Amino acid sequence: MTIIMHRYTNSTLSAIGLTVAILAQATSSHADWPMFRGPNAGSVAIDAKIPTKFGGEQKENVAWRTELPGRSVGGVIVVGDSAITTSSSGMDQRRLHLISVNSKDGSTRWQQEFVARGRPYCHPTSANAAPTPASDGKNIFAFFSSNDLACVDLDGNLVWYRSLSTDFPKAGNDVGMSSSPVVVDGVCVVQIECQGDSFAAGLNTEDGKILWKLDRPKQANWSSPTVVKLPNGEKVVVMQSSEDLLAVSPKTGKILWEMKVRCSTIPSCLAAEGRLFVPAGGLTAFDLSSAGASPSKLWDNNKLSANACSPLVVGKRVYTISRTVLASGDLFSGELKWQTRLADAKSIWSSPVVAGNILYIFGDDGKCFVVELGEDEGKVVATNELGEAVLGSPAISGNAMYVRGVSSLWKIAEK
Amino acid sequence: MIRRLNQRTVLCAVAFAAFAFLVDFEMAQAESSLESIKMLQSLTSGDEGSLAAARAIKQLGKANDVTLVQSLTAMKGATPIGRNWILGLANSLYRKTGKSKASELTHFLSDTNQDGEARYTVFQWLTANNDKLRKELLANMKQDASPELRYLAIDEAMKSKLEILQLSSLLEAARHPSQVVSIIEKLKVLGETIDQSKQFGFLPKWRLIGPFDNVGTVNFDKVFPIENDGVKGLFKAEYEGKTEAVIWREETSEAADGMVDLAKTFSNEKGCIIYALTEFESEKDQDAEVRLGCINGNKIWVNGQLAVSNEVYHTGSQIDQYVEPIRLKAGKNQILLKLCQNEQKESWAQKFEFQLRICDSTGKAILTKGR
Repeated sequence: MTIIMHRYTNSTLSAIGLTVAILAQATSSHADWPMFRGPNAGSVAIDAKIPTKFGGEQKENVAWRTELPGRSVGGVIVVGDSAITTSSSGMDQRRLHLISVNSKDGSTRWQQEFVARGRPYCHPTSANAAPTPASDGKNIFAFFSSNDLACVDLDGNLVWYRSLSTDFPKAGNDVGMSSSPVVVDGVCVVQIECQGDSFAAGLNTEDGKILWKLDRPKQANWSSPTVVKLPNGEKVVVMQSSEDLLAVSPKTGKILWEMKVRCSTIPSCLAAEGRLFVPAGGLTAFDLSSAGASPSKLWDNNKLSANACSPLVVGKRVYTISRTVLASGDLFSGELKWQTRLADAKSIWSSPVVAGNILYIFGDDGKCFVVELGEDEGKVVATNELGEAVLGSPAISGNAMYVRGVSSLWKIAEK
Repeated sequence: MIRRLNQRTVLCAVAFAAFAFLVDFEMAQAESSLESIKMLQSLTSGDEGSLAAARAIKQLGKANDVTLVQSLTAMKGATPIGRNWILGLANSLYRKTGKSKASELTHFLSDTNQDGEARYTVFQWLTANNDKLRKELLANMKQDASPELRYLAIDEAMKSKLEILQLSSLLEAARHPSQVVSIIEKLKVLGETIDQSKQFGFLPKWRLIGPFDNVGTVNFDKVFPIENDGVKGLFKAEYEGKTEAVIWREETSEAADGMVDLAKTFSNEKGCIIYALTEFESEKDQDAEVRLGCINGNKIWVNGQLAVSNEVYHTGSQIDQYVEPIRLKAGKNQILLKLCQNEQKESWAQKFEFQLRICDSTGKAILTKGR
């Protein structure tokens, strides 16, 4: 009887544990913003409530601001209660920092540091710390313009490190690289496209082994790979360049389909509602329903162009930004629905994010335009000044938005 | 009684065996950690080394028997990749124990025989929240062996108002091009003019020949006859160019940044290749670095040996963009450049130029004899 009870207790506990684990995973998954543009690269946190007014001299709704070493034009990710970002500092920005900040109070949890072994050079407005890090919830993967790739655990301890510029010496671009890595199915995928050693590679997340390497066009490219879940549940990595658009298996690097498309080389693509939206001059939509075969083109519209920011989808609308004009198009037909000029906006490099039906977009002068996304118009409901350049895409977790300025990290939330 | 003795004997034997096992285990672990550190120190590129390093860093994390200072000391003599692995370990150890090791770390920083990157890291730790200490330390680091510390020290010194003598002293110490330019500008304001091109050691006098064909940007690797002649060190007076026979012409750069403007000299010719030739007279046999800034495709041969090769067009340029080690012989050394222009039409893709200097490994100019 005792044994039976013991077994019963064990199995009950196991069941409860499993349930808790699943719930915890669901909660964590909901709360985490694990890579550039967040879960599914969607840039949208539909349930989040972020203040529309923040910053300024009064630091309204600024929960905290933490100064960080050096500079960054990359973004920030959120894993659990840590906001994680990268920096580059020192002579020629050769010092590479990976920093974890307590999301509750902005205190620094840990810093890990390396020295760039590849070319650290970049345009003065950029930084060696340009790509946004990524996480699989267990480890953090930090990538830099100099093609240094480091994996650390959630406590900042080094798991593995690769100098991809040492492995492939002609990989690099002295304007600066910025493609952010993605992590999927135990593989960290990087896209390093330039005039020299131009390639994409998948590295084992456990030990950094290069599982596959794919030659890519020898042209400069700053767009990021995108994880796309096909209708049959299979996850693929889609990459774009000025010459092609292709999907690869993350585990093997096998090309699943490939098309000759002159894609944009700064913004990245996005999948939603069984469609793939690709910045390519304007915006082109492809049908993803035919798994395994090349997706067929549904529509394109050059009035939905995206010069730097990646597109995003909310409800039945797709949104793009061309310089300082925000455009809304119908998801299914590609028809332009409205355009809103963001008055007094400077250069915009940061891909926007959406909380609920409110879009937040930062200019490189730190001014944030807050736009209510309506059926017939995009109404600018507020503009906010952080007083610091922002070039990376923000992250949203819970009811807070984390913004990586060039020299500090901000948490925007109701106090 | 005998039974008790036996029990004691057995207990003693077990205790001794356990002690011996622990000693052996710790010694084995220490040896294992030592081996792991050695392995990290010798790491080069590639999968095999990386996988072994991932195992080693895991072992070191578990063993926990390498001290912070031991890890920092191990960076000396390690390969660049190895240093990054060890630096990753050192950072973790610092988080665990560093705050209590200020005295040891201060001693480590003062030892200029230690690895420069390790010392710079220690400097950051020690001065993270102590600006007074930071300034005190930097005041004595303007000639530091670590390029990073020297750069910081000069940066800090430049924040003060300086007289000619102090600026001249800084100019002697400075290695980073941005700091050298900045000091020269400050000296100029004070009425002291420095020959910037000479200070950097840019080579201003060249013999140029071209244009040769590069239509379609396809001839970067084509071996033109002049390249074979370059290996032999015997050039002809005339070669068959892109559309006609071409001859050498003399060019002297008057620019402060040593830039040789090929677009101007060759009337904005596109889809072409120009060769540039010069001689560098070295006082002695010596190791040196050839340092090139060039926004176009480029190759450099020193005494007929290929030293630099970059098939890259219009993606940024700066002083010392490409740095490669070379060996100079006493006397005359021949330097031949192949400079390739593509056919891009954008306004930002029209430059066709280069700047070249010879330096020691710290970035200090080595001047050709007689300059």
